[in-house]
Amino acid sequence: MKRYWKHSTLMCLILIGFAFTVRFATPIYFEVPDKWPKPVYDFSKNPITEEGFQLGRNLFYDPILSRDKTISCASCHSPNNAFTHVDHDLSHGIEGRKGKRNSLALVNLAWSKNFMWDGGVNNLEVQPINPITNPVEMDEKLENVVTKLQQSPKYRTLFSKAYGDEKVTSQRILKALAQFTVMLKSSDSKYDKVMRHEASFTQQEEKGYQLFKANCASCHTEPLFSSDKFENNGLKPDDSLKDGGRIKITKNIKDSLRFKVPTLRNIKLTGPYMHDGSIQNLPMVLFHYTDDLYKSPSLSKQLTKKITLNKEDKDNLIAFLEALTDESFIHNPKFQYPR
Amino acid sequence: MIKKGIHSVFLFFFCFWLSAQNKSDSLAVNFHLEFNKLPLKLNHKYVSAANDTLTVETFRCYISGIQIQYDDNSVFTQKESYHLLDSENPNSFSIPITKKSDKLISKIIFNIGIDSVTNVSGALAGDLDPIKGMYWAWQSGYINMKIEGKSPSCKTRKNEFQFHVGGYLKPFYAMQCMKFPLDKKADDDINIGIDLNRFFSNLELSKTNSIMIPGKEAMKLAAHSNKMFYSQ
Repeated sequence: MKRYWKHSTLMCLILIGFAFTVRFATPIYFEVPDKWPKPVYDFSKNPITEEGFQLGRNLFYDPILSRDKTISCASCHSPNNAFTHVDHDLSHGIEGRKGKRNSLALVNLAWSKNFMWDGGVNNLEVQPINPITNPVEMDEKLENVVTKLQQSPKYRTLFSKAYGDEKVTSQRILKALAQFTVMLKSSDSKYDKVMRHEASFTQQEEKGYQLFKANCASCHTEPLFSSDKFENNGLKPDDSLKDGGRIKITKNIKDSLRFKVPTLRNIKLTGPYMHDGSIQNLPMVLFHYTDDLYKSPSLSKQLTKKITLNKEDKDNLIAFLEALTDESFIHNPKFQYPR
Repeated sequence: MIKKGIHSVFLFFFCFWLSAQNKSDSLAVNFHLEFNKLPLKLNHKYVSAANDTLTVETFRCYISGIQIQYDDNSVFTQKESYHLLDSENPNSFSIPITKKSDKLISKIIFNIGIDSVTNVSGALAGDLDPIKGMYWAWQSGYINMKIEGKSPSCKTRKNEFQFHVGGYLKPFYAMQCMKFPLDKKADDDINIGIDLNRFFSNLELSKTNSIMIPGKEAMKLAAHSNKMFYSQ
C-alpha cells in the first residue's frame, strides 16, 4: 500500500511537471478592430505570448543587435515618433553611416504583405535580417547576434521564459521580434473614435475628411490608410540616390520609381515625409500633390487628374490628418523601453 | 538485483541494435561533387571545357522535395525535405530518405533550390536557418545555389567569380525540378553526380563572373545548373 502511494505521488509530480513544460508561456490574443480586414500575418505559426512579446521588446530596444552595440531598432523607430526616425531625411546607422531611405513607421504591420519601401521583404519575421546585416545600419552578422545573446545571462532567462529553454536560434530571435512588432497596432485615433461613434469630428476635420475621401483615399485606403501597393507619387528622383524603388525587386520597368504607399496613421508625427525624406512638413506634402508633380511614365493613375485645393481646403485636410494621431498607441507603456 | 542487471544489459543491446538498424536500413541519396567525373577538390586548378582555368572555393546548394517512385506505382515523399549540400561539410552530401526494401525504384524526383511557398514562410530553422548564409536580406528569399572561386579569366577583384543563384518571384522563379528514371532495387543507395565542369562549360568566365541577384541572368545559370546533375 505504502509503495502504491509512493508511485502515485511520483506520477502526479511527473504529470504536473509536464503541464508546466507545455504551458510555460501566457498567450496573448491579437484583437482585430471591428470592420478591419483580416490580418495578413499568420499567427498560427507564431502564437503570441506575453513572454515572447517581452523578449521581442527587449531585443527591439537593445543595441546588442548591432556590430558595435550602438544602434537598436528603436534608434530609427522610436515610439515618440510613432516608431520612425524624426528629423532625418535619410536614416543613419552604425558610425553615422547614411542609408538611402527614410525609415518607415512601424504600425499595423499585421496587415502588411510586403515590407520596406520597395517591398523586398516578404514576411514580417525576416524583416529584421535587413537592418541587422545592412552595412549602413547595424552591420552585424546573424550568427554573431546569436552568440552575443547566448552569452548574456539576461537573454538566457528571457529565452527560457519565452520558449521553455535557453537555446538561442535565429528563428527564435526573429519570431520574438515579430511578436513585438506585430502587436504595434494603432486603432484608437480620433478618427477611429468617430468611426465607432464615440466622438465626432470638428467641422474643419469633417470637411477635411470629405476632401481626403475625394482626393487621397484611393491609395491611402481606410481603415489602414494604405493600399499596401506600390505607386509612383510624382516625386522627382534624387540623382544622388539613384533609387528606382520597386523595380529593383521585380525588374519590371512598370515598377520604376514606384514605392510602397505608406500609412497616414500618426502622420503628424512621422515627418520628414516620402521615401527619401525630401518633404519637411504636411503643407509642403499637399503642395507637392497639387502643384509639384514630376511626370514620368509610371506616374500613378490616380495622380493624372490634377488635384486642386485652396488654402482653406488644405487647412481642413491637415486638420483631418492630425485626427489620425493615436496618443494611446504612442504612449502605450507596453511598447516603451523595457525597464 | 541480478534480474535488473540483465534487464539493463538487454536494454543496452536493444538500443544499440536499434541505432545500428537505423543506419544500415535507411536508403540514402548520395550526391557526388565532381569536376569532369573526378571528385572535386576545393582550391584545386581545373580547366573548363570553355578553356577557363579556375579553382572552386565554395559550393553550396539546396536540394528539396525528394520523392521516390517505385515500379509498383507507390510513391515515397519525404516530409520537411530541405537539405543544404555544403562543400565545407562532406556529410551533408548524403541524405537518408527512407527504409531500404526489395521494391524496385523507377524514378527519383527532387528540386534544386527552394520552392516559392517556403520562400515566403518567415523565419525557419535547420538547414533553412538564414544563418547558413543562403538567404538574401534586402530581397527576402533563399539562394538556391552558391558557387564561388577564382579564375584568371575574371577581370574582377582578386579574380573572383561569385554565382548566387535564386529567386522565387515569377518570371524569375529559379528552382529547378529534376527527374531521373532509375531501374534499381531499393536495397542500395541512389547516387547522383554533380559535375561542375558541365556548369562552367556553358559559361565564359571573362564575361559572366558575378551574378548575385534574381533575374534573367540568374535564370540562365539555373538552367545551366541542372545540366550538372546526372544519375550515376
